[in-house]
Amino acid sequence: MKKMMIMLKVNGQEFDLVIPVNKTLTQVLREDLRLTGTKQGCAVGDCGSCTVLLNGKPVNSCLILAVEVDGQEITTIEGLAVDGLHPIQQSFVEHGGIQCGFCTPGMILSAKALLDKNPTPSEPEIRAAISGNLCRCTGYQKIVESIAAVGKND
Amino acid sequence: MLLPKFDYQAPKSLREACALLDEFGAKARLLAGGTDLLVNLKHKKLAPEQVISLNRIKGLDEAAAKKGKGISIGPLATAAYLAENELAQGPLQVLAEGAGRIGSPLIRNRATIGGNIVTARPASDLAPPLLVLGALLILKGKDGERELPVEKFFKGPGKTSIKPKEILSRIFIPEPDGPGAGAYLKLGSRKALEISLVNVASFIEVGADLSIKQARIALGAVAPVPVRAKTAEKFLKGKKPQGENDPLFREAARAAVQDASPITDHRGSAEYRQALIEILTARTLQSAYSRIMKKV
Repeated sequence: MKKMMIMLKVNGQEFDLVIPVNKTLTQVLREDLRLTGTKQGCAVGDCGSCTVLLNGKPVNSCLILAVEVDGQEITTIEGLAVDGLHPIQQSFVEHGGIQCGFCTPGMILSAKALLDKNPTPSEPEIRAAISGNLCRCTGYQKIVESIAAVGKND
Repeated sequence: MLLPKFDYQAPKSLREACALLDEFGAKARLLAGGTDLLVNLKHKKLAPEQVISLNRIKGLDEAAAKKGKGISIGPLATAAYLAENELAQGPLQVLAEGAGRIGSPLIRNRATIGGNIVTARPASDLAPPLLVLGALLILKGKDGERELPVEKFFKGPGKTSIKPKEILSRIFIPEPDGPGAGAYLKLGSRKALEISLVNVASFIEVGADLSIKQARIALGAVAPVPVRAKTAEKFLKGKKPQGENDPLFREAARAAVQDASPITDHRGSAEYRQALIEILTARTLQSAYSRIMKKV
């Protein structure tokens, strides 16, 4: 199997890696970098549990070859909590946005991409932004409320 | 689900990519956004020896308008780019509306227009908009390139007239002949990650007196390939609607039903699809015409 040397900038840190060309970004994050906050669910781009931010945009890391993102910037859920929880994470905790937790990293990264562009989204905008992230526990309402409450004092 | 083994190439120019494709032919697959290819590889539907990525080739991911000449779109322009680009406010609005309905936000950040065209799904969100815009596809091989109207490109579900050694290198949208606008509507049972039950795109060009010079209507998911509703188009040609609510749009929509050949499947019955064709066609025509009236 052909291997290639790549550099990934993950959560601000540079990693030089030699990886087989058929490894997905999800696999490299989880297996090579041990960043297991990124989950593997359906593995075919339907569930969104593998969501990461690629150059600031949310993508399904299960559908990206790691060699394709050589030199690019990736943010995983581990990159959000710098000094304690990120405000979005805090809001999910406070508003009951987490049940089993499997969709949570993806939900929070999709929410971050939305809030970076639009700090005061409407409910339809929130629902559209997380429409590629499936949750089987919450029924979404608490997740939507968690995202809407970020940055608001209530 | 693991990916099978393959060799990977990332050429830096289209010329180099064409040479690689010429060398490997049917043993190779081109990789653009990967939202379709990687799924097919994981499901073992495809087993190429070579995966040739187009993502290191510069200048393929943007659209640019040339005054009086139309718009040129690179095959690697993503659905998100097309949905949000400033050209989406102008003639590309109908394409932007289609692009905004593909998959999910996560998919749209990777899925490309080129990939959407060459995979030739009957329910494609971009094919009907491209049909009504009269798009031309530039197909490039090692020994030169040819131009093909998008209408002649689709041959059946997953089947197209691209040759194994050709790359879709450019999508060209000609300048409309006078004021024009389009609209796209899709109906499915959900809002995201949904395959259209029926989708319709319309584009209307008008003369100085707001009479219809030409109307183009394309229907998706109601035949093996996206089809033009030519009976309805002929009916509208030369007519002068009295505003967007003119009953002639509904009449044209009824005619459009004859232009499709929907089947019954798990997503819906043929009869339901026929009813939807009529409703969605009428709505896209009304919306396209009202957009023109707002502009002129």
